Amino acid sequence: MTAEKSSNTIEISINTDVLVIGTGAAGAEAAEVISAQGYKVAVAGDGGQDIAQSGRAELIEGAHIRDFAGVAGDFRACFVKDGQRLERNFGAVVIAPGRNVRPQAEPFGLSLGERVITLGELEKILADGNARSKLGGAAVALLLNLTWEGDPQYTARVLEASLAIQQLEGATASIYAGNVKVAAPGLERKFTYVREQGVVCFKPMEKPSIEQTGDKIRITTLDSILRKTLVAEYDYLVVEEKAEPSDRDLDLAYSLRLDTDLEGFLPSNNVHRFPVNSNREGIYIAAPGLGANIALRIKELFGDGVKSVPADRAVVDPEKCTICLTCYRCCPHGAIFWQDGVAAISPLACQGCGICASECPMDAIQIGGFNDKDLRRQVREAVAATQKPAIVAFCCQNSALEAGRAAAEFGMDLPAGLKLIKVPCAGKVDVEFIMQAFVDGADGVMVAACHEGNCKAERGNLFARWRVNEIRKRLEALGIDKQRLLFTTFASNMAKGFAETAAQFAGSL
Amino acid sequence: MIVAERKPFEEIKAMVSGYKKVLTVGCGTCVAVCLAGGSKEVATLNAELELALGKDGISPGAATVERQCDMEFLAELDPLAEQYDAFISMACGAGIQFLAERFPDKPVFPAVNTSFIGVNLDVGWYEEKCRACGTCVLGTTGGICPVTMCAKSLFNGPCGGTNNGSCEINTDQPCAWYRIHERLSAQGRLEQIMEISPANDWSNQKPRKIIQPGYEERIKALQG
Repeated sequence: MTAEKSSNTIEISINTDVLVIGTGAAGAEAAEVISAQGYKVAVAGDGGQDIAQSGRAELIEGAHIRDFAGVAGDFRACFVKDGQRLERNFGAVVIAPGRNVRPQAEPFGLSLGERVITLGELEKILADGNARSKLGGAAVALLLNLTWEGDPQYTARVLEASLAIQQLEGATASIYAGNVKVAAPGLERKFTYVREQGVVCFKPMEKPSIEQTGDKIRITTLDSILRKTLVAEYDYLVVEEKAEPSDRDLDLAYSLRLDTDLEGFLPSNNVHRFPVNSNREGIYIAAPGLGANIALRIKELFGDGVKSVPADRAVVDPEKCTICLTCYRCCPHGAIFWQDGVAAISPLACQGCGICASECPMDAIQIGGFNDKDLRRQVREAVAATQKPAIVAFCCQNSALEAGRAAAEFGMDLPAGLKLIKVPCAGKVDVEFIMQAFVDGADGVMVAACHEGNCKAERGNLFARWRVNEIRKRLEALGIDKQRLLFTTFASNMAKGFAETAAQFAGSL
Repeated sequence: MIVAERKPFEEIKAMVSGYKKVLTVGCGTCVAVCLAGGSKEVATLNAELELALGKDGISPGAATVERQCDMEFLAELDPLAEQYDAFISMACGAGIQFLAERFPDKPVFPAVNTSFIGVNLDVGWYEEKCRACGTCVLGTTGGICPVTMCAKSLFNGPCGGTNNGSCEINTDQPCAWYRIHERLSAQGRLEQIMEISPANDWSNQKPRKIIQPGYEERIKALQG
């Protein structure tokens, strides 16, 4: 990666090769669509002969990631293949997640057997002409999304299997479903069609109780539509196969520094991101049907291989940096690495949240547009100019700032001494700024972040809350009322909430 | 800084004999500054090994990382590690152990003795200043550490063995509490020497962990 300085932007030349990890359907689809955009694609994983034969992508067969480094536009992957190390560079990485499957018989006190089977086993029976005949005349109950959240792919499989049963001579299928996930093309229609074909659906209000006596399975459930307790007997019960993140994905998440969601799946949830984006620029998570979305994002990132980015998004002062690694460890976007004895921040991967700048113990990092000197000056001016009580409100530009400005716009009552200071993320609010506000004479300081789980920078709001909690302890130790420092969260549409919180805070001072 | 001394060559040689491919790992921070374990020391030790054991006896590799007490820097050695049968670490005891943790299936041998936390008096000349007792009393002792300088590590002194400014153990050893008396007196706060410092809780010497204020929740979240 080379960088040349022009006035306020730098041009970065990007490696436009793409690595796809995983040879399954989602990986193959992503590889196909990305290579159709004109970028070179390599697919790593086991199997995948069809990908190699298509000629659309190079297959690095049997290769598994050992080490991974770099940032968007310049990733370095080290594979182990047949015991040999193989190093390759890529500009972007797509992960096609794998899944482990755990049969869900145990939550109902059942064990798998002849009559209690998994969806996978049912599919095998249905696919086998001889085996299928034993389902003739049988009543089959299928469980759907009762023990886990489920997904559209799983719904599609259950619907397909139910339909196949229903079409067997004398056989009936019943589905006991929690939330039916139908967010995939044609799935809602299929759900209707399946019921038109005679498949009965129940929506239990609570976990059904299921008993097996010999060859019969009795399900007792309180149906939420009929509002009645229903008891029915079946010959077969098809339990769910709960998907869990594969060990490979958990390893990848660790070595590629990716956040997972609460259940361990890639990517972590963030409403500010496209579903295919991870917390790191240039690393995407594939799913069936999302290949085109990934190709779009990659095209946006790569362009023609040269990208113009702001030169001052996040700048490290090499004289101050001691490469303590704090910034590297705190950056939620994996945008920081170290080179030639100093921390380096990729202008392509950096999202400008400023968490690093506020965590840096040497104040060695400055964020474009949110220079520490400017912010300190703003704090001083806010305290000096205001009426009493003087309140300095550090407001995240993604939420609280919008809410606060809207409150003013709508003419809501805001404390006269309230001054909003715009920050790129609450994670940019430095302990020093808060302390300085009190030293300068602020009566109150408000740190206004996004709601938990709603931070654009993944956890800038958490960093802000942790810092505020710590300063409150220190204020208390100084004999200063800790209530003078408030941590609060808003969504950008909460003008009224902002005005109320501000008024209440002013009243308490 | 943490001050270390290179081990006698014979001791290092005895440890590594039998291992052909050995990676000597230096540390670019404290031990480099005190001239015991930086990249120059790595090169010198490797030359000694080659001279002593012959090119057929050993083929040592060299790498110096920024700090051996940060796992991220040790990870930089991963691509090299598989080429070697054993490691020599020239870091302090903390770095040596962290290196051994990074590569638990390979022997790690120390090439330095970690001596103390000290200061630089001149090139190659260091003096111990701190014993990491965990209860700093320097505010009341005029900035002179009695735990380090006093042979008995007395929190309150002097004892009866103070001897015209020296310690009873040795006339070259200054009496810490004599020095403290002098310094406090010069600063006009001698009365502070009468304040009794409670005995240190030496049970704090079991392996200690510190989480800086404000980071408790982060650590909890990381572990959660």
